[in-house]
Amino acid sequence: MVAKVIKIILSPILALIVGVFFLGLARKIMARIHWRYGPPLIQPVIDMIKLFYQKSVSHGRMFDLGIILSLAGSIVVVLFLPFGRICPLSSSGGLLVILYMMLLAPLGTALSGGQGANPNISIGISRKLILSLGYEVPLLLVLLAVMTHYKTISIMEVVSVQQSTSWSIISFPLFLSGLSYFLILPAILGIRPFDVSSAPQEVSSGIMAEYGGKYLALATIEHAFVLFISTALFVNLFLGGAANPVIFFVKMLVVFVLGLCINAVFPRFRIEQAIKYLWKWPTLLAFLGLIITLAIRS
Amino acid sequence: MSLELLLIIAFGGALLTYLVGKVSYKGRNFLAVAISLALVAFVACLYGKTGEETFYYGFLGFNLVLRLNMLSWFFAITIAVVGALSIIFSLSYIRGKEKTDFYFLMMLLVNAAMLGIVLAGDLISFYIFWEIMSWSAFLLISYNRGPALAAGMKYIIMSIIGSVCFLVGMLSLYVSFDTLNISQIAPVITSASSGYILFILTVFGIAFGIKNAVLPFHTWLPDAHSEAPAPFSAVLSGILIKMGTYGFLLVLYVIVGLKLFLGLGRGLFSFHSMLCLLGAVTIIIPTFIAMLQTDAKRLLAWSTVGQAGYIILGIAFGTNLALVGGIFHFFNHALFKALLFFAVGAVEFRTQTRDLDSLGGLAKKMPVVFIGTLVGICALIGVPLTSGFVSKWLIYKTLILEGSPFLAFFALAGTWGTILYSYKLIHNVFLGQLPEKHKTVEKAPFSMQLPVVVLSVAILLFGILPGIPLKVINAISTSFGFESLNVGLWGITSETGALNTVNIFAAVLVAAALVWLVFHLAAKSVSVPQEDSYAAGAHIPKDKYHYTAEFYNPLHRMIKPFLRDVINEFYYWIASCVRRLSDSVRHVYTGDVGHYVIYIILFLAFLIFVQVKWKPW
Repeated sequence: MVAKVIKIILSPILALIVGVFFLGLARKIMARIHWRYGPPLIQPVIDMIKLFYQKSVSHGRMFDLGIILSLAGSIVVVLFLPFGRICPLSSSGGLLVILYMMLLAPLGTALSGGQGANPNISIGISRKLILSLGYEVPLLLVLLAVMTHYKTISIMEVVSVQQSTSWSIISFPLFLSGLSYFLILPAILGIRPFDVSSAPQEVSSGIMAEYGGKYLALATIEHAFVLFISTALFVNLFLGGAANPVIFFVKMLVVFVLGLCINAVFPRFRIEQAIKYLWKWPTLLAFLGLIITLAIRS
Repeated sequence: MSLELLLIIAFGGALLTYLVGKVSYKGRNFLAVAISLALVAFVACLYGKTGEETFYYGFLGFNLVLRLNMLSWFFAITIAVVGALSIIFSLSYIRGKEKTDFYFLMMLLVNAAMLGIVLAGDLISFYIFWEIMSWSAFLLISYNRGPALAAGMKYIIMSIIGSVCFLVGMLSLYVSFDTLNISQIAPVITSASSGYILFILTVFGIAFGIKNAVLPFHTWLPDAHSEAPAPFSAVLSGILIKMGTYGFLLVLYVIVGLKLFLGLGRGLFSFHSMLCLLGAVTIIIPTFIAMLQTDAKRLLAWSTVGQAGYIILGIAFGTNLALVGGIFHFFNHALFKALLFFAVGAVEFRTQTRDLDSLGGLAKKMPVVFIGTLVGICALIGVPLTSGFVSKWLIYKTLILEGSPFLAFFALAGTWGTILYSYKLIHNVFLGQLPEKHKTVEKAPFSMQLPVVVLSVAILLFGILPGIPLKVINAISTSFGFESLNVGLWGITSETGALNTVNIFAAVLVAAALVWLVFHLAAKSVSVPQEDSYAAGAHIPKDKYHYTAEFYNPLHRMIKPFLRDVINEFYYWIASCVRRLSDSVRHVYTGDVGHYVIYIILFLAFLIFVQVKWKPW
C-alpha cells in the first residue's frame, strides 16, 4: 500500500522532470542544427518560475477550469502508463483507458481556449482538432494491431510479453505498425512539421494566444507531459518497456532525439498537406500491419 | 392487472389532459406533468416483477397480451423518465404557440404508445401501439408547419414502408406457427429452416432499421429531428428511435434466439457480420456528415444516426460484453441526447436561432445550460467519468478481444469524429465572442433548466457508479442465455481485464485538486472583457468574430466531395419516378365521365372484335 502511494506520487514527478528536460533538449538540439548556440538546458524551468510570478489575464471561469482539466488529464494518463516498473494504476482499464484519458488534455485546452474569445485561438483549435483526427486514424490502427497481436488490452501484459520474447519493433508484422507510429510521432507531439496549431507566425501561437503568466506556465507543463506520454507509449508498445526507469529513460531519449533530428529540417506543413501525409503513408503501413497481424492470428 | 392500469393511466391521462386544456391551461399543464411523473413512479414500482396478462380476449380471434420482464422494464423506465422530462421542458417552450392542447395530447400519446410497445406480449398489440406511435410522432414532427410538413411526410412514408414489412413478417409467422404470442413463437421457431429465419430477420430488420435509422434507412431522421419542436426532438432521438433497438433485441434475442441468429451463414457473409458491418458504417459516415452541419439540431440529428450505429453494432456482435455495452449505450444515448436537445432547445428559445454560425459566447449568459451541454458532449464523446465511457469501453473491449479490430477501428475512429462535431457545437454556441444582438439574452427558465440538471446529474452518477444500470442490464443478458457478468458498483471485473471507474475518478479528482492548488498559489489573474484580446497589434472590431463559421474549413474542403448523401438522392429519384408515373396515369384517368364511357365502349368493341375474329369463347 505504501509502495503504491509512493509510486503514485513518484511517477508524475518523474514524468514532469523528463518532459521538461525534453523541452530544454529540444530547443538546444534545434539551435545546434540551426548553427546557433541555443539557451541552457534548464531554460524552460527558469521560464516557468518566472511565469508563475507574472500577472495574467483571465477570460472567465471556463478559461481557468479548462487549463486545469487539461493538465489534470495528462497527469492521470501518466499514472496509467508504465515507466520502467513504476505503474501505479495500470490494472484498471488498460490501453483503452489511456487512449481515452489522452482526450482530456486537448479537450480541456480547447474549452479553455474557446472562452478566450480570440479568432487566432479558434483557428488554432480547429487546426489542432483536425490534425488530431488526422493522426488518430493511423494511431488507432497501430494500437489495434498491438492489442490484436498480444490478445490483450492491458499495457502491462504487452510489456511483459515483450520482455520475455522480443521487442515488437523487430518482430515481423508489428514493425510496420512501429514504423507508422514513429512517422506520426511529430504530429502527436505537435512539433515541426506539424506545428500548424501553434504556428507563431501565422496565428499568433494559436491556442496559446491569450495565455500569459501562470496559464502559459501550466500550458508548458502540459506540453512537457504530452512529450513524455507519446514517447513513453512508443517505448512501452514497441521497445519492450524496461525493467527499470533508467533504461526506460535512455530508450525514450533515443526515440525523442531521433524524431527531433529528422523533423527539425522540414518546413511547416499546411493543414491539408499534413492530413494528406498522415492518411497516406503512415495509415497504409498501419493498415498493412493490422491486416497481417489479423491474418497470422486466425 | 397492474400493466393494464399503467396503460390506462397513460392513454386516459393523455385524453384527459386534452379535455382539461379546453377549460384551463394551468390545469392542463399540471395534469400533464402529474401524469408523466405518476408513470415514472408506477414503472419504478414494477422493478423486478415479471408476468404476462391478457388484457383483451378475441381481437380478430387473437388474445392481446401484456408482458413484463427485465428488458421491457428497463426500456419502460427510460421512456417514462425522458418522457416526463420532455413534458416539463415543454411547459415554457410551448407557451404562446398554437394548438398547445393538441401538442400535449400528442406528446403524452407518444409516450403511452411507446410504453405499450415495450410491454406488448404479442405481435398484434405490438403492431397497434407501433402504429399509434408512428402517427402521433408524424403529427408532432409537422407541428411547426412549413418545412416541417415535408420532413413529417418523409418520415411517415418511410415509417409506413417499415410497418408494411412488419406486417408481412407478422403474417408469415402466424401462417407458419399459428400463434403471435412472443413467448409461444420462441420455442417453435427453432424448427424452421435457416432460409425462413433469414427472411423473418430481413423483414423485421427493415421495419426496425427504418425506425432506428440504420444506414441505408436513415434519410428521414435528419429532417425530422431538426424540424420537430425541441422537446419532441429529445423524445424522438432519445427514445422513439430506440423502439427500433427494442425491436431488434426482441427479434434477435427473444424470438429467434442467439444460436440461430449467429448460425446464419458463414464468415463475412453471415447475417450477423453483415449487421455488424452495417452498424460500423452507420457509425462512421454520419459522424463525418455531422461535422459539416451548421444547424445545431441537424448536427445532433446526424450524431444520433452515428450513435445508433454503436448500439446496433453492440447488439449485432452477439457477445455478452457487446450486448451489455449496446444496451447500456442505448440508455446513455437516451440520457445525453435528450440533454443536448434540451440544451439546444433552451438556446433556441432564448435567442430564436439555432444557426451555429451566428451564435456564440452564451456560456456566461446561460451557465446552467452550458454546464449541461458540457456534460452532454463529454458523455457523447465518452470521456471517462461519464456514463458514455463505460458503454463504449465494453463494446471496444469485446471487439478487440474477439478479433474484430476493423470493427473496433470504425467505432474508435467514429469517436474521434465525435470530438470534432461536439466541440464545434459547444464552441459555436457557448464559447467564443458574444454577438451584440445577444447581449441581452436571459438565462433559461426554470422548467428548462430542471431537465438539463437532472440528466447531467444522472450521466455523472452512472459514469462514476456504472454498476447501478449494469446490474439491470446484466439481468437482461442472463435472461437471453448469457453467463452472468461480475458486476460491482464501480464497474466490471473479469478475467480478461477489469474496468474500475473509482480509480479513475479518484485519480482525476486528486490531480485536478493538485493543479488547482498550484493555479491558486501562483500570481492572480485579472478578468478582462471579451473584446480585450490579443491580435498581434491589430484591432478586432466588434462583431467581426466570424471564425466560428465553417469551423473545420480545411477538413470540409477535403472530405466534402466524398460525402454526398447518395442514398437520399436515390430515394428522391424513386419518388420522382413514381410521381412521373402517376402523372402519366392521370392522362388516362382524367376524371371526365365522357372519357370513361369511351374507354368502356372501346374495350367492349375490342372484346367483340376478338370474339368475331377468333371465336375464343
